[in-house]
Amino acid sequence: MISCTEFILAYNEIFNYLHEKHGKEAVIDLWKYISDEFLQNLDELVAKKGIQGMKEYWSRTLEEEGADYEIKATEDEFVIEMYKCPSVGILRRTKHIKVYPYYCEHCKVLYSRVVEKYGFDYNLEIIDTNAGRCRLTIRKKR
Amino acid sequence: MSVHKDFHGALSCCLEYIYKKYGEKELDMCLRQIARNVYKPLIESLKTRGLAALEEHWRRIFTIEGGDFDLHYDGDVLVLNVKKCPAIWHMRERGYRIFEKFCEHCRIVNDEICKAAGYNSSVDYDQDAGSCTQKFWRRREG
Repeated sequence: MISCTEFILAYNEIFNYLHEKHGKEAVIDLWKYISDEFLQNLDELVAKKGIQGMKEYWSRTLEEEGADYEIKATEDEFVIEMYKCPSVGILRRTKHIKVYPYYCEHCKVLYSRVVEKYGFDYNLEIIDTNAGRCRLTIRKKR
Repeated sequence: MSVHKDFHGALSCCLEYIYKKYGEKELDMCLRQIARNVYKPLIESLKTRGLAALEEHWRRIFTIEGGDFDLHYDGDVLVLNVKKCPAIWHMRERGYRIFEKFCEHCRIVNDEICKAAGYNSSVDYDQDAGSCTQKFWRRREG
């Protein structure tokens, strides 16, 4: 069994494999598939509860992953201030693997597809890929 | 240690995508690349320390994930009995779709790790039951 504690490394390697064999577009297609086929739990929470649903989803997942982060949620804006992304931390600490250079981009594709269809704008600012620092801002469209 | 077991569902989704889009052979190749690159330290440890390295590996990850398992030696063969696979059970509990060939990843990844270290392996699984028996033994030359 590939343990869930080893998933990030396997995920990174799948990206490397697809990119080497089929190009970056193949990796983006995988991300779209994951978004459409796997993120139903996020989809349902956003559909039912909007920003409160986002808060529920990311609070649970980021706690379980051991992230260093801050969430700010208001009536029409949801922000994750990521100080140390746990996935990036695992990749940077694991010296024997080759980090997929576009790894952080998966967050742009995966989550934007879910929230945008419910009338939100999605913006992910990747601040420092080495430190795992980024800022995700989701706003209600006016 | 906090674990994010939803990663099992994400892995299942990735494997399903590769199988559907590129076929069984590509899935096999991708998993073998994961085995060689992600588990490089385990391969090295298996080469130098023998089956004790695998025994420790399995005990650690199945304990972290709360699996119901048993590890023992049958002569020179290390036997891992997984009575309740944490991946299958978590995906089932969360209502995630499970890739029909999900358990094949264990057979392929084990095979590649063992081959690289001079060992053999077998996996006899029942995906519906979420159980399997995995065996590991040193390859005999000649």
